[in-house]
Amino acid sequence: MSGGAAGGGGGPEKASDDGDLSARLKRLETQIEGKRPKAAPADAARKATPGATSSLGQAMRLSTEFIAGVIAGGILGYITDHLLGTKPWGMIVLLMLGFVTGIYNVMRVSGFSGHKAEKDRR
Amino acid sequence: MAVSVDPIHQFEIQPIVSLGHIGNQQLAFTQSALYMFAAVGIIALLTIVATSGRSVVPGRLQALAETLYEFIADTVHQATGADGKRFLPLVFSLFMFVLVLNLLGMLPYSFAVTSHLVVTFGLALVVILTVVIYGVAKHGTHFLGVFVPSGVPKPLLLIMVPIEIVSFLSRPISLSVRLFANILAGHIALKIFAFFVVQLLVAGAWGVLSPLPLALTIALTALEFLVAALQAYVFATLTAVYLADALHPGH
Repeated sequence: MSGGAAGGGGGPEKASDDGDLSARLKRLETQIEGKRPKAAPADAARKATPGATSSLGQAMRLSTEFIAGVIAGGILGYITDHLLGTKPWGMIVLLMLGFVTGIYNVMRVSGFSGHKAEKDRR
Repeated sequence: MAVSVDPIHQFEIQPIVSLGHIGNQQLAFTQSALYMFAAVGIIALLTIVATSGRSVVPGRLQALAETLYEFIADTVHQATGADGKRFLPLVFSLFMFVLVLNLLGMLPYSFAVTSHLVVTFGLALVVILTVVIYGVAKHGTHFLGVFVPSGVPKPLLLIMVPIEIVSFLSRPISLSVRLFANILAGHIALKIFAFFVVQLLVAGAWGVLSPLPLALTIALTALEFLVAALQAYVFATLTAVYLADALHPGH
């Protein structure tokens, strides 16, 4: 709890400091945990909310994830055509690739593509 | 009634103090910049002044600051693991900045800074450049492993690697477009539905129907507050997820 300021300051330090800091934080946590009467119900409610909001947040991700893929493909296609002078082809190929990427992004976010979903879920 | 009904008008940038010109482009201290300074001021007040007491039993503001801090610390820890702690200041700053700007934009007559793609794309670029620079500095060429999905048969890599590259490039776009589109669309919808109330009221007998858009406006306002907080959270979460790639490039 009151380790907040220390945690913020320890951010840009080296890894050894991180390990030291987390050890200290853990010690503090066990000390606090010992003195605390019991886990307050409000605390449990706070723990539950991130799950609920993140599923709504995930729903909002899907559409933009797809659009962003198409836009990225379009921009890449435009740049390729501009630099290499391959007028229509760069745009055609990369826009389709962007479309595929959009679908792939959506699949990944919604968890259709196996193990990668685990990492991207949160 | 000839009220200005342009729902886009609220997003216009208005200069407050002009600082001169470069070519035809005016350089000015705009109301957008003013709101950003206000946001930084509010965040500083909340995080520095409110917690300066360091009481064991926190007061209201200190409790708020500590709750927000712990919330983001949890998120970062879940997404990046133990060694992601060094990115906590970045993620927390981004989260607070977006959250306060979104909420400031919800005040009547105020200006929503995050409804501008320039702002959100700038923030997204900060994230992606951090990922790329830190990833390359830490892992060197091994960072390119981010483009090679594991467990994929060799011939398929020919297709998957370009897809992964485009997917990586689409990240700043999706990060910025999501925030900007949500805020922009929400504010426009709010304005339009609110104006329906006025239009129905001046349309004689149709005024009976005016409570309908009014109720919708109230509901939308609540939804917009949810979106304002949620988008800040999503921005922070995705930042943490992308930073996890910089820490551990090979999936």
